[in-house]
Amino acid sequence: MPREIITLQVGQCGNQIGMEFWKQLCLEHGISKEGILEDFATQGGDRKDVFFYQADDQHYIPRALLIDLEPRVINGIQNSEYRNLYNHENIFVSDHGGGAGNNWASGYHQGKGVEEDIMDMIDREADGSDSLEGFVLCHSIAGGTGSGMGSYLLETLNDRYSKKLVQTYSVFPNQMETSDVVVQPYNSLLTLKRLTLNADCVVVLDNTALNRIAVERLHLSNPTFAQTNSLVSTVMSASTTTLRYPGYMNNDLVGLLASLIPTPRCHFLMTGYTPLTVERQANVIRKTTVLDVMRRLLQTKNIMVSSYARTKEASQAKYISILNIIQGEVDPTQVHESLQRIRERKLVNFIEWGPASIQVALSRKSPYVQTAHRVSGLMLASHTSIRHLFSKCLSQYEKLRKKQAFLDNYRKFPMFADNDLSEFDESRDIIESLVDEYKACESPDYIKWGMEDPDQILTGDGNASGTADPSLAV
Amino acid sequence: MEEDDPSKALDLIKDLVFRLLSQNPTSNSSPTSSDFQKSLRYAIRILTSRMTPSIAPDAAGIAESIKRRLATEGKSSQALTFADLYTKFASKTGPGSVNNKWAVLYLLKIVAEDRKCRQTQFESSVLLPNLVASDPVLGKKSSGAAPEKEWQKGVLLVAKDPENLRDVAFKEFANLLKEENEVTEEVLVRDVLYACQGIDGKYVKFDNNSDGYVLCNLIKASRATRTMIRKLCEMGWLFRKVKGYISESMERFPAEDIGTVGHAFCAALQDELSEYYKLLAVLEAQAMNPIPLVSEAASSGNYLSLRRLAVWFAEPMAKMRLMAVLVDKCRVLKGGAMAGAIHLHAQHGDPLVLEFMRRLLRRVCSPLFEMVRSWVLEGELEDIFSEFFVVGQQVKAESLWREGYRLHAGMLPSFISQSLAQRILRTGKSINFLRVCCEDMGWADAATEAAVAAGTTTKRGGLGYGETDALESLVDGAAKRIDKHLLDVMHKRYKFKDHCLAIKRYLLLGQGDFVQYLMDIVGPELSEPANAISSFKLSGLLETAIRSSNAQYDDPDILDRLKVKMMPHGTGDRGWDVFSLEYEARVPLDTVFTESVMSKYLRIFNFLWKLRRVEHALIGTWKTMKPNCITSCSLTKLHHGVKLQLLSTLRRCQVLWVEMNHFVTNLQYYIMFEVLEVSWSDFSNEMEAAMDLDDLLAAHKKYLHAIFEKSLLGEQSQTLCKSLFVLFDLILRFRSHADRLYEGIHELQCRTLESSLPSGDKSKKNRSTEKSLETASWKADGKKALTQRAGEFLRNVEQDLASLAKEYSSLLEGFISQLPLQQHVDLKFLLFRLDFTEFYSQLRPHV
Repeated sequence: MPREIITLQVGQCGNQIGMEFWKQLCLEHGISKEGILEDFATQGGDRKDVFFYQADDQHYIPRALLIDLEPRVINGIQNSEYRNLYNHENIFVSDHGGGAGNNWASGYHQGKGVEEDIMDMIDREADGSDSLEGFVLCHSIAGGTGSGMGSYLLETLNDRYSKKLVQTYSVFPNQMETSDVVVQPYNSLLTLKRLTLNADCVVVLDNTALNRIAVERLHLSNPTFAQTNSLVSTVMSASTTTLRYPGYMNNDLVGLLASLIPTPRCHFLMTGYTPLTVERQANVIRKTTVLDVMRRLLQTKNIMVSSYARTKEASQAKYISILNIIQGEVDPTQVHESLQRIRERKLVNFIEWGPASIQVALSRKSPYVQTAHRVSGLMLASHTSIRHLFSKCLSQYEKLRKKQAFLDNYRKFPMFADNDLSEFDESRDIIESLVDEYKACESPDYIKWGMEDPDQILTGDGNASGTADPSLAV
Repeated sequence: MEEDDPSKALDLIKDLVFRLLSQNPTSNSSPTSSDFQKSLRYAIRILTSRMTPSIAPDAAGIAESIKRRLATEGKSSQALTFADLYTKFASKTGPGSVNNKWAVLYLLKIVAEDRKCRQTQFESSVLLPNLVASDPVLGKKSSGAAPEKEWQKGVLLVAKDPENLRDVAFKEFANLLKEENEVTEEVLVRDVLYACQGIDGKYVKFDNNSDGYVLCNLIKASRATRTMIRKLCEMGWLFRKVKGYISESMERFPAEDIGTVGHAFCAALQDELSEYYKLLAVLEAQAMNPIPLVSEAASSGNYLSLRRLAVWFAEPMAKMRLMAVLVDKCRVLKGGAMAGAIHLHAQHGDPLVLEFMRRLLRRVCSPLFEMVRSWVLEGELEDIFSEFFVVGQQVKAESLWREGYRLHAGMLPSFISQSLAQRILRTGKSINFLRVCCEDMGWADAATEAAVAAGTTTKRGGLGYGETDALESLVDGAAKRIDKHLLDVMHKRYKFKDHCLAIKRYLLLGQGDFVQYLMDIVGPELSEPANAISSFKLSGLLETAIRSSNAQYDDPDILDRLKVKMMPHGTGDRGWDVFSLEYEARVPLDTVFTESVMSKYLRIFNFLWKLRRVEHALIGTWKTMKPNCITSCSLTKLHHGVKLQLLSTLRRCQVLWVEMNHFVTNLQYYIMFEVLEVSWSDFSNEMEAAMDLDDLLAAHKKYLHAIFEKSLLGEQSQTLCKSLFVLFDLILRFRSHADRLYEGIHELQCRTLESSLPSGDKSKKNRSTEKSLETASWKADGKKALTQRAGEFLRNVEQDLASLAKEYSSLLEGFISQLPLQQHVDLKFLLFRLDFTEFYSQLRPHV
């Protein structure tokens, strides 16, 4: 009952990773594809009601909304083995089924159009829960539906459910290969603005890094979507284990996020997971210890966000916060030893303007999923190097914008009508200030950042002068 | 001679009396006077009496004694004369001489002595001394036939003389007897044998004054004999002592509690005595028999002489002496103490003594061992005389294990080691615990099994002294099985571990979702004054929290035990101060979770609950300042100065939040990893390894203690704990400041929107459109005022926050600087966590 989380999966990508996520949850909780609790799933201790609710016939239904503007992926789900899992009332496919054409503006606009239908669904789900904790949005930021409609939903949720948390799992496009979506930088920028302003926490899933990991760590020469998506579902399910297996700490999303996000603006999280396996792939089984897992999690090659930083900048990058969720049979005494070792080796750089430490949450492993490894770990971290990802987005946008390329598609929609491109500029400013804020976090003087104004000395004793002079106040 | 001449004798007497009386000038001595007649009659009566002296008639002996007497009186010439005269007297034999010489001498001697005493006293009218004084003359004169008749009968001067005179006479007589009475050895042997049975003999009698049997003084016996008799009679003395003890004890037995051990001791002594009786009977029979000798000629004494007796008595004497010593030692003791005291004497090198003591101890200890047997196999305390070294007392079921039984050190015989005693105690205690607290019957099987395993020695009375090994193996066997059974019962039937886990989950807040939910719904209630809170309502809320969290899947029995407890509260206390949860440990678990244990849990709960509350408050603050709350787009319209002010205030608030949150979360992590989980894993290991309930109790105690100490609740960390609570309060205060700030900002946001909307902003917010139209008139003016007010407000808040931050950092510094001084090594882990990035140690390099 308590602390329910409603998942919104929007767009092609969102629905794909969402489906993988539910598959994984069903496996871990011993829920069949039909939503029926398996006979073997008698061991208690897990909390299914965060993500599921029970229908009158006792079968478990995900608190999920499947939203898309084109039917392809959702049809796929409806024809899959899992078709009976979802509540069919929670599936929304736009009537015309034409999609958003990879256009953020189209998605946003269509979102506005169907706001009532979708908000009805959301309200219904929210009313069906006792103490709704928040929403999780799965989408990609590059396409049309996930980014545009997702952005609209973010704004609406922020307005309608301002007290609730909004967490997103946002897939960032692969920037190594040339995308078929040429307007990707536009879409990304516009979505990023909403992610910055209207989301409480963004888990960044960088397709570039996911591919890299699939190739390098899993030795897949040409990773498929399904394979990268299973990485995503692993991360998603692992990041929710503490919610699903209650322990002494981190039993709710807000508790989990609060410590991870000390500065509200810097709420983009990187993830890392080890040891990684892809479904039914025989991997070399390593000996896993807590130290081992924690050490691996700090290695950039295991992190699912690419770092575009140059070496000098990379050395400046700092962790704002780290939470390691360790799953499996762990001797609690090992945690302390591992932390000590990590500190001795100076394996981790933390911000200097405040105290920080590696947080470790121990979580149970699902008894129904057999894994080869005794211990596995997920890292959720706020790291300043993520700004380079945004910088990259910005620079790609600048390139495109300079050419004034592909803007016509956007002008068709009210937001950009009359060649009003201020939304782009505003977004750009916000992303830029975000990047600046991350950069400022790297310095020990973050506390004073943004207050050294060349015109007015407002720091320290100058505080008064700004407002004491009413003449300035127009 | 009287027959032939009675009248002659009468005449002689008359004449004698007349002569004697006529010497007395005062009396009328005419033969017809009454005095005369009286005296005559008296004399005749004396002379016709048949009194005889008791000494043997030996003329030479008498003469010798007279001579010696004279010599000692210094009249040596007279002595010589006497000797001369005597020789003449004695040599005169034949007709006409005095036949009865010794009688004459005896008479003379007595008269002489008598006269000596009486020289000054001559008042009586009829004085026999006078009469006697003339005796020598008379004797000599009547050396014819007449005197001999008279002396023949012997003379005893008993008359109407004064009493002391008679005494003297008796004394003389006694001396005489003594001189004469020499007793034969066989008589003495007989007497000694009597004495050895505690009976007074003819000559050997018990003398109270000298506390022992002594030979009668009257008997003439050599010094050696006397010594010998005294020695032999020690046996009698010892016998008396032992016998006295036995009969005394037996008499007391039903009424007073000399106890079964005492009884057994008496019985054993009695048996030893009957052995002794047998010996005496044989000796007595032998006493009269002469020793058969090879040569008939040689005269032989009797079979038993005193000396032989001494030889016969050597061994019984040793035993008797030992018994007497034991009797002395045991007089005030009973039960185990008695057995122990006796055991002390058993450590003896002499095989005889050793053997004897073993025999005795076997008997003495058998009731004791019987008690042990029934205690360890049946849990029965058959000890009406309180002799056993396990003492039970009536207690409530919950304290049965701890206080119900204890070892009575005084009753613990030294041949049972302390550790064995402990095992014995625990085994029986376990049985009783099972029986009383667990209502379990299965222990009987375990006990039977143990009995079988221990073999036949467990038959009633089968165990004995000296078989400590057998006892030990019995006890061990029983202990092992009973303990195992008890633990089985505790674990399986009473689900000890489940309850420990339940306590960990609920009282130590391990069940996070439950605690969270409880905090959510109980929180508002607890902000009320304590006396306004109904615990009934809280119980309802607790119920809700259980049903809404995963706790609902828990065993109903466990959930049933979870209760709300309101601690006693004073005025001014808030609900937060008095609320706590309690876990009802029922019999038999209340043996582990005693009241004091539960009160410790209670304190830990309160601490953790407070910590959780602070954490909750901080997260609540985060929620108000969460990333998507302050939509900066609306704030961009603010005046630049205000904006900066806002930025700076927000930043300050956030940074302070970061510090506080860091502190609280790391404290939580410390509690979770270093305190709860580590202690729990230690505890569960020890729980697995526990062999008996005591181990289990100890493990639990250690577990609880570890948590208690590490949670800063111990005695030593009181100052630390205090400063921690001050920090907590500060954080709670911070929350209200932060709330105020964000409320103000929201207000500001609304106002800004109001004032900016009419200016044609393309803001999507439209709810305050109407209002802002009304206020359009004071727009310009209002904006200025708004800015000013906002600035002022923000400045105030920032100042508050700044002073809060200052207070916080000084408090935290104090707290952190105290950490390394703590004794608990685990507190260093806390420091390590708090200062993971060396943020604090860099801030204050001197720390």
